Amino acid sequence: MYRGREGQWAFVLHRMSGVALALFLLLHVIDISLVMWGPDGPFNAFLAFYHQWPFRVGLIVVIAGVVYHALNGLRIIMMDFTTWGVKYQAPLWYGVLGLTTLIGIPVLWKIVPEILGIA
Amino acid sequence: MARAAAPRTFRDAQATYQTNSELAWWVFMRVSGFLLVFLTFGHLWANNMAFNAGEIDFDYVASRLAQPSVRVYDSFLLLFALLHGVNGLRYSIEDYIQRPQRRVAAKVALFTVAGIVFVLGVMALWTFSFSEMGDAVRALNE
Repeated sequence: MYRGREGQWAFVLHRMSGVALALFLLLHVIDISLVMWGPDGPFNAFLAFYHQWPFRVGLIVVIAGVVYHALNGLRIIMMDFTTWGVKYQAPLWYGVLGLTTLIGIPVLWKIVPEILGIA
Repeated sequence: MARAAAPRTFRDAQATYQTNSELAWWVFMRVSGFLLVFLTFGHLWANNMAFNAGEIDFDYVASRLAQPSVRVYDSFLLLFALLHGVNGLRYSIEDYIQRPQRRVAAKVALFTVAGIVFVLGVMALWTFSFSEMGDAVRALNE
């Protein structure tokens, strides 16, 4: 057991983001596949629905989930395939959190004004 | 905890998993995960950073899917992301659903939905020629 230290938090966030992203992926493929019904089909109405601000904020959460899951996945790969990965897993996790935050800044800078309609 | 701790190294994984297929999935999660870092970041860059995602409509998606490079890129993304995601959900089902009947039911439901979604995705990517479709729509409007 990790006894609630960095490794366990890394796992919990990885599992939660992973499940959420997998469910988002299923929904995302279904809604994009509506293009098959053509320009007069349900696609534009569906997309207009998703362009409402709560869903756009949700999309920011999805992006955050992707970035965290990807970077923590690289940490897991380092733990599994290098001799030093397990030893440095805790500082690596803080690196994952730091890099996720760092990447989040330009993403928020780009998307928040779009949502507020001042882009 | 009833379940053995997850394996931490490749040698660990070899010793932990009873079957070659589970070991193969363990390797697959790492290989596909590594590829997906680049595939998803590229996808997010194109559709959320280089473009205002709030303005995505039929014309935008059709013009993207008319490009062969986007079709090939998105096909790899669809294949790897679905396999990676569905296998991850399978791990979660095995971790949290204890009763055998419910576990089987959850997996059957998951694999059915995943199969339908995969077919829908492949159809959307490859069945129609969007450039021809665009020409046809423009011809109708003339």
